[in-house]
Amino acid sequence: MPTDNNSVMVEMREVYKYFGQLKALDNVSLDIHDGEKLVLIGPSGSGKSTLLRSINQLEQIDHGRIVVDGIDISDPDTDINKVREEIGMVFQSFNVFPHKTVLDNVNLAQIVVRKRSKKEASEISRELLNKVGIIEKVDEYPDKLSGGQQQRVAIARALAMKPKIMLFDEPTSALDPEMIGEVLDVMIKLAKEGITMIVVTHEMGFAREVADRVIFMDYGAIIEEGTPEHFFKNPTQERTKLFLNQIL
Amino acid sequence: MVEIKDKKKEKKETPRPVIAVGDGAAIPTKEDVGLFTAWRVSFVGAIATVACLVIFSPDPYWRILKFLPDGILVTFQVTVAAIILALIIGLFTGLGRISKNKIINGIASLYVEIVRGIPLLVQLFYIYFALGRIVNVPAMASAIIAMAVCYGAYMGEIFRAGIESVSSGQMEAARSLGMTSSQAMRHVILPQAIKTILPPIGNEFVALLKDSSLVSILAVSDLLRRGREFAAESFNYFETYTMVALVYLIITLFLSKLISIMEDRVGANRQ
Repeated sequence: MPTDNNSVMVEMREVYKYFGQLKALDNVSLDIHDGEKLVLIGPSGSGKSTLLRSINQLEQIDHGRIVVDGIDISDPDTDINKVREEIGMVFQSFNVFPHKTVLDNVNLAQIVVRKRSKKEASEISRELLNKVGIIEKVDEYPDKLSGGQQQRVAIARALAMKPKIMLFDEPTSALDPEMIGEVLDVMIKLAKEGITMIVVTHEMGFAREVADRVIFMDYGAIIEEGTPEHFFKNPTQERTKLFLNQIL
Repeated sequence: MVEIKDKKKEKKETPRPVIAVGDGAAIPTKEDVGLFTAWRVSFVGAIATVACLVIFSPDPYWRILKFLPDGILVTFQVTVAAIILALIIGLFTGLGRISKNKIINGIASLYVEIVRGIPLLVQLFYIYFALGRIVNVPAMASAIIAMAVCYGAYMGEIFRAGIESVSSGQMEAARSLGMTSSQAMRHVILPQAIKTILPPIGNEFVALLKDSSLVSILAVSDLLRRGREFAAESFNYFETYTMVALVYLIITLFLSKLISIMEDRVGANRQ
């Protein structure tokens, strides 16, 4: 269901990004609305992760404009750290902090960046860890946790900043099959709460259930976009059909 | 004879990159049975030799041994002060070497290249006499500065390698949470780098202690200098330097053992 009535949360205009000779992003223009759930699909190397990472400037774009929540992040005068506080990110490889307990993982940025007291941060952390279902592991170190549990800690860690946007970069791709469900469940729960979500994934079931809009990318460009229904019933582009045939 | 306690090491550890730097006495680890035995043999042997010499031939050995402690103290003072200073220099050099700022990176790299290309003995002379022309620095202070400047360059490379051994995803995760790069460095990267950094720093510590004997040429009364003074008076060159060598050996072996125990502690507490 398109959400035209909402304000634009992320605006990308004519964005280009090169890795040497390779065009990772090729003239990408895109509006993502407040509260929208956007799923990016495409073959590996199609630029979907690069697109995602350019929204919080983990990748610096070479040309074009990206405006996040009214702030132009391509402007060199923009304090990117301030913008990043509002954008949570979940990585394929979890990237939990191995030298900190689960609680401290979720506390750290709250204390360092948001300047919350330890007590206040811990309360928020416990609430979120409860929500993602690993409250019993608060005092464990990450190496005692399964991949699915680590990823849920990473989600709680990002949520603790109370972000306006959540970016998910193939959050289940590094997980054993039996753990994918527990992470997707958390993401579905989150989607229902109305936060803006941009998800790079190969989980088509998730896209079908959660996405307002699906975007198919190849060779750095947006090939086709539409509702999940449109996508899985009658995609128009040849490349989309080919890709969907391969993974479904 | 040697029991290997490996119950702690049994659990699968992700292979951590090892930084192979250092020319100090090897740090004995429990895995390396050969080295572990060698450590015991040489440590016990050195102490037994000193004891025998002192008991069976108190003149001159007992007199020499009584003469040396002041020097041992000075050797330790120079070593500890220089290592603390070198750690600070090394941290900033290491950060400079990975900095994306071209000027900072250039300065740090230049410092490392220059210092590593000049023999420590020449550096000692140079700093002592060069500083001496501008300000009157006590010999002890210039010795410490020279050692720290020299070892700071090596430490810098250790810090750099240690920081680079932490996966880039850690930095990305920290930055994505809104941390500045220095906050990420302090709270996320350095605490993880410490584990990789500690063993080679231990090596440098032992190496620095040995190299501190060079400061004896700057009129600093360290262990070697005390030995030379005794020998010059008594003409017992052979006996004195035997004693000096044994004392150095005992100290460095003791230190390397201490460091290996410390490493175990750090390894046990943090994942």
